[in-house]
Amino acid sequence: MGERLYIYTMKKILFIVLFLLFAGIASAQKNQLSLDEHNKYVYYEVVDLPGISADSIHRNSNAFVEITYPKNKSRQISITGILVKDKFLIYSPIAKHESGEIAYILNIECKDSKYRYWLTDFVFTPYERNRYSVYVPVNGINIPLESAITKVSQKELNGYLEQTSAFCTQLGSRLKQYMVEDHHLIIPDKQPTKKIVTDKW
Amino acid sequence: MKKVLLLLSLFIVVTMSAKAGTTALVDTGKVAAPAPPDPPLVFSGSVDTYYKYDFSGHNNIGFPGAGGTYFANEQNSISIGMIDLALKKKVGKAAFVGELSFGPRSDASIPNSGYHIQNLYVSYDVTDKFNLTAGYMATFLGYEVISPAGNFNYSTSYLFSYGPFQNAGFKATYAFSDKVSLMAGIFNNYWNTYTSFRPIGESDAASGDVSTFGAQLMVAPAKGWTAYVNFLTGSYSGTEIDLTTAYQITDAFKLGLNAASFTAPHNGGGFEGIALYPQLAVSKSVTFGLRGEYFKFKQGGPDVKSFTITSNIKAGPLTFIPEVRIDGASIDTFGFTKGDGSPTKSAGQFVLAAVYAF
Repeated sequence: MGERLYIYTMKKILFIVLFLLFAGIASAQKNQLSLDEHNKYVYYEVVDLPGISADSIHRNSNAFVEITYPKNKSRQISITGILVKDKFLIYSPIAKHESGEIAYILNIECKDSKYRYWLTDFVFTPYERNRYSVYVPVNGINIPLESAITKVSQKELNGYLEQTSAFCTQLGSRLKQYMVEDHHLIIPDKQPTKKIVTDKW
Repeated sequence: MKKVLLLLSLFIVVTMSAKAGTTALVDTGKVAAPAPPDPPLVFSGSVDTYYKYDFSGHNNIGFPGAGGTYFANEQNSISIGMIDLALKKKVGKAAFVGELSFGPRSDASIPNSGYHIQNLYVSYDVTDKFNLTAGYMATFLGYEVISPAGNFNYSTSYLFSYGPFQNAGFKATYAFSDKVSLMAGIFNNYWNTYTSFRPIGESDAASGDVSTFGAQLMVAPAKGWTAYVNFLTGSYSGTEIDLTTAYQITDAFKLGLNAASFTAPHNGGGFEGIALYPQLAVSKSVTFGLRGEYFKFKQGGPDVKSFTITSNIKAGPLTFIPEVRIDGASIDTFGFTKGDGSPTKSAGQFVLAAVYAF
């Protein structure tokens, strides 16, 4: 009797853990994009950094863009901020191959004790399989995410919005991590492999 | 209970492993951002099935070698095309693609019976602009391809049917810019075979050679417009010059064109032709297209005109392809026959295909 109760309890714990895990994944994938005053999708956040000067924040954002977009020639640096254009891949929910790419613009603006960043101008380009079994952009098709519903199904669009939101969240998190201190590009020392002497035990 | 504990332990181990993997580069504010991970092993493919009815009551157009073209050749039958399974992986600068296919469409597309490889190659990006690739690859010539997921029409053109399907070889591609690139390569002496070979009866029957030369110039003159000028020549396989271009003129309208001229070796004739592919998307799930083709055998051979009206109706990954096709030849011995078997100049067919691509 006691053992059956124990098994029942363990099962409940397992289901709760699994439920929380899936709930966490589901919430992480939720669309967090908003619409701006021009009805364009935007991922926008203002972050406080009390006591840090605008110069330091600007330097850090420069370093972030430098290391995140090392070969990107689109970046425009002004006194108060940075703008960079780039794109990321969208994957098919079924087979996990590339189903398209989304171009975007990242803006970062800095002030004393705070900065703001936003990603906008999302433009979707679908991919198609070419003769070599490689997925490549469909030439000449560029669809602003705001009007994508006229070209793709609601289900597909929801998937694109979720993946865009997840990308923005991840990029924003990396930016926040990067902004908190002065940066020097140092590759961390490799952890030495632990050695075990097997003839003494 | 043991199973529950085992599952729980496994879950914890997997969670911890995943966490350990993601924290290998901890951003303390003084480290470089982690490099983007390599893309995953990509798995893709398609399956297709079709019904065809030739208006003569027997098969005409889907009958290569007797005036017809490839695929969709079974009359008044719900038939299968092929299952196509492709794997792709890229790690750093090195990549491979392996694509297997099974089914009647696959068998017809690979002359080596019992073989099932459509693409098998490795490639290496020497620089961002310079790539080397070796293996067995879909040919770089022509507008249409073997995979039904890669074509708008389900039936195929004469230019596709009489040109190469695959070439085994080694090629180098240099991209001068996004708008111009050049490929040059050497390929086995015959098309559509995994190995080179020399026909029985020739002086050296031991082996073939890698004596076919191929080149491709790609230009993108305007946004949405790409053109490929292709050249393939070899003393065994002949010489083909090909222009393949597609222009997405508006969001809804696309125009494709394929023109080619082939000269067989040893003055053995050849063919030439041109095909136009206008396509109009009338909604997000329905597109109509026309293929109009003129094809002629050289050295005074017959010619044929072919018109195919096709629609692609998309339902997620599934595409329904209804198609009506009328072909008209210059002579009544082109290969088409009437219901009673007597020769005729024309043939027509209806096809309804379903292609699921994943």
